[in-house]
Amino acid sequence: MPGHRTKGFCASAAALALCAVLAGCGGSGESAGGGKVVLRYTWWGNPDRAERTEQAVALFEKQHPDIDVATSFSGYDAYKQKLATQAAGGDAPDVMQLDYRQIDQYASGGVLLDLAKQKSVLRTSEIDPGLLATGRVDDVQYAIPQGRGTETVAYDVRTWKKSGVPLPGESWTWSEWADTMRALAKQTGKPGATDPGQSEDAFEVWLRGQGKALYTEDGGLGFTAGDLTRWWTFTDRLRREGAVSPAEQTTQLDGSVENTPLGRGTSVTDANWDAPASGFAALVKGGVALAPMPTGEDGTPGQYFKPSMFVGVSADTGHPEAAAQLVDFLINDRQAAKILGASRGIPVNETIRDEIGPQLKDFDKTIAGFQTSLEGKLKDPPQAPPSGDNALQSTFQRDYDQVSYARMSPREAAENYVTEAKAELRS
Amino acid sequence: MTTTAIPAEARRAPAAAPKRRPRREREGAAWVFLSPWVLGAIVLTLLPMAVSLYLSFTDYDLFSPPKWVGLRNYVQMFTEDPRYWRSVATTLTYVAVAVPLQLALALVVALALKGMKHGKGFYRSAFYAPSLLGASMSVALVWRAIFNDGGTVDNLLGTGGWVNKPGWALLAMALLTVWQFGAPMVIFLAGLQQIPAELYEAAAVDGAGKWRQFLSVTVPMLSPVLFFNLVLQTIQAFQVFTPAFAVSAGKGGPADSTLVYTMYLYDRGFVASHMGYASAMAWVLLLVIGVVTAVLFRTSRSWVFYASEGDR
Amino acid sequence: MALHVGCLLALLVMLYPLAWLLATSLKPADEVIASLNLLPSHLEWSNYATALDGVNDVSIWRLLGNSLLIAGGAVLGNVISCSLAAYAFARLRFRFRGPLFAFMIATIMLPHHAVLIPQYIIFNQLGLVNTYWPLILPKFLATEAFFVFLIVQFMRSLPRELEEAARIDGCGPFRSFFQVVLPLTRPALITTAIFTFIWTWNDFFTQLIYLFDPEKFTLTLALRSFVDASSTSAFGPMFALSVIALLPIVLFFLAFQRFLVEGMASSGLKG
Repeated sequence: MPGHRTKGFCASAAALALCAVLAGCGGSGESAGGGKVVLRYTWWGNPDRAERTEQAVALFEKQHPDIDVATSFSGYDAYKQKLATQAAGGDAPDVMQLDYRQIDQYASGGVLLDLAKQKSVLRTSEIDPGLLATGRVDDVQYAIPQGRGTETVAYDVRTWKKSGVPLPGESWTWSEWADTMRALAKQTGKPGATDPGQSEDAFEVWLRGQGKALYTEDGGLGFTAGDLTRWWTFTDRLRREGAVSPAEQTTQLDGSVENTPLGRGTSVTDANWDAPASGFAALVKGGVALAPMPTGEDGTPGQYFKPSMFVGVSADTGHPEAAAQLVDFLINDRQAAKILGASRGIPVNETIRDEIGPQLKDFDKTIAGFQTSLEGKLKDPPQAPPSGDNALQSTFQRDYDQVSYARMSPREAAENYVTEAKAELRS
Repeated sequence: MTTTAIPAEARRAPAAAPKRRPRREREGAAWVFLSPWVLGAIVLTLLPMAVSLYLSFTDYDLFSPPKWVGLRNYVQMFTEDPRYWRSVATTLTYVAVAVPLQLALALVVALALKGMKHGKGFYRSAFYAPSLLGASMSVALVWRAIFNDGGTVDNLLGTGGWVNKPGWALLAMALLTVWQFGAPMVIFLAGLQQIPAELYEAAAVDGAGKWRQFLSVTVPMLSPVLFFNLVLQTIQAFQVFTPAFAVSAGKGGPADSTLVYTMYLYDRGFVASHMGYASAMAWVLLLVIGVVTAVLFRTSRSWVFYASEGDR
Repeated sequence: MALHVGCLLALLVMLYPLAWLLATSLKPADEVIASLNLLPSHLEWSNYATALDGVNDVSIWRLLGNSLLIAGGAVLGNVISCSLAAYAFARLRFRFRGPLFAFMIATIMLPHHAVLIPQYIIFNQLGLVNTYWPLILPKFLATEAFFVFLIVQFMRSLPRELEEAARIDGCGPFRSFFQVVLPLTRPALITTAIFTFIWTWNDFFTQLIYLFDPEKFTLTLALRSFVDASSTSAFGPMFALSVIALLPIVLFFLAFQRFLVEGMASSGLKG
């Protein structure tokens, strides 16, 4: 009798021990690298950015034979989700690309390393102090902006020219923009633009054009349901008129340029960030040019130079110095800058920007020219958005879906959004 | 959760034990055999359930420790979250459409195959195949393509893509479930074959036609199996995830029309990092499934006919 | 006869999606959408060449290996742990047997979302997220109660006499289990193994949550990320990859369909 009982305990104990062993294995499995330091570096982007990044990383590995960089990339939506789960699990990649929206959450969640501690290998002296400050939370430098971007109206040059509608000038107001889209739709038979109602980014530009902001300084909501109702009423009407894309097309947006109406050849323009807009060059056969975003009716600009992407280092990295070296390389290395071009926005390192500016090729040159044309005209960027904004971006799109599928009035949807946003920002 | 749901099983279990009183040593041996299951039940079922109940009263983003917020998640869910209610409505619609359609089709096909002399085995396997393949990502992608703009359905019916239209998208998703009617069909078929032929003969002698025989013999004799299928498929339908994920390319769109409960739970928990809120959602789902199952069992007393109550 | 015609027609509709998949995987890019022709104008084998190149720089063999490793581990775990537990429930007497059996049945109906988040947190604490353990370990702990139930049902139908004879010969429950009961339970174990394989292979959700590294991806996950990363022009290779990912299940089904259908039938009836 006792013998059997002991067996039972043995089995349970063995099972427990097995668990412990498994746990141990999982923890230590990562660090094996045969003497070489292995860094994991992840980013989001399109295949073009991926190719250039791989080339730059290969160069880095050549310069640092003792460091191996394991890279991975995906589209923005998938990336956002994956990184959040990884970071929460204490398994964040050593070096990661971050969006403006993620900085606050990741910094306050203790995911990011204080980069000032790696000053010796990571130089920041050649970055504009104002731009550099956008990577700071509570006065700690958690991330470095990699590039500077701004929103733009990218358009299909050939189709637009053929339509006979005058090409966009140096600036236009939202109502001029709307009239132009109507005219384009009438002449070309396809919508002038992607429905901007689904885009929190476009809404922000519109809001700033009226002197308001998405968020207040203490992280609350900076606008009212009334403001949002007006915006959605504006876009809803344009959609009903056929001036912007119908709901069936708008709902297929997934953050990639391939799935925008312009990328599919079903509209004439698309409001997007300037760096990803380079992807249109390969998709739109009639050539792509960039126009500024519309302004408020009194000419107040809504768009701004946004640090387009950040790079940060995991607080749990086993190799902070090597990770910092990689960050330094991505930001300050001349040769890397030449390879990367403007694939992450125009470089933030001012020496490099001046130096490689004239050497930029193809679409990078277009972007650089576009940014130069805006220099000095725009207002300061807003501070980093509060953590909740990360989830609100898709809530915004979903609530507008209710409008574009005519299941809710703009007012109902706007009130829903404000309720949801307040709950999100409270936590 | 559903102890009320299985009295028949619980009653039956001890009855099947060896008739002779076993020696005490078997008790120890039994626990050895059970040890992996017991460990799993405690560590991977009971403990997580307790933890999830606790988390449902907290604000937890995985980054910082859980913060106790009392009933706030539940209050927010019921009063401040229109999307939550949309996901509830979507799920109920889906259950109400997919489950009856699937069971009806399964029953019809089982009846058709029942009397077949040749090829029954072949058809049975062939109709069953989608039940296994249908859960794969590959088939889900096919489904999306067939029901998309320019897909087969659009070309045949000229309806345009279903997956981009609210309402239609949910139907496309329900059809993916209906398509997998093989599992309940096989169970129906096995049930049909257990109905003694004498009952039909007796009914025929009494002058009952085919339809009459179906109503007075097949339906009551098959009701336990029908009930089993109904409970199983309903529970599964409440938890549907992959078809929704596939048809909407992971977004639950268009206009939240395929945002079923578990998709929204996934969105809140794993995309928006609100683990507390998602846990609260999981508990509500658990309770709802428990209640629905209990109600099904309660109503079953009036329509499920057990020919040999107490028999094994 | 009419019955056969009806059944065949139904079958045609039923199997259309699979035919579509196979045909599309061999279509040139411009024929994939907006073409009612099921058959490609010519066979575009390069779709398969592209698919075989792998996804995100991970070779297809690696992905296949990952999928097989997980499915294989799960099969082993389920067969061992579920048959052990089933034997106890079917043949041995112990305290709280009734309530425990009821609890076991109840867990079949338990929505796994209720335990999903804490399980994730537990595995996360153990540093096991982004490894295969969260996908395999639970199977060694008999968490899939459906199979315990399936095997219990089967064991109950076995004649008791053999075990009685073994008992008289002095066999304890262990020898009796391994030497008498287990060999007789083979059909139920095979059914368990096949279902486990197919369900694990298809299980997208768990893989989605627990695995991040493209290196560790399964075919299913890779397929998903392939969809994310490519435009409509890559439809052909995408469906070629779909075929490859579906192939093991189809083969399993063709080889073992009798066990599967019987297993499904018996699970519903004897309960």
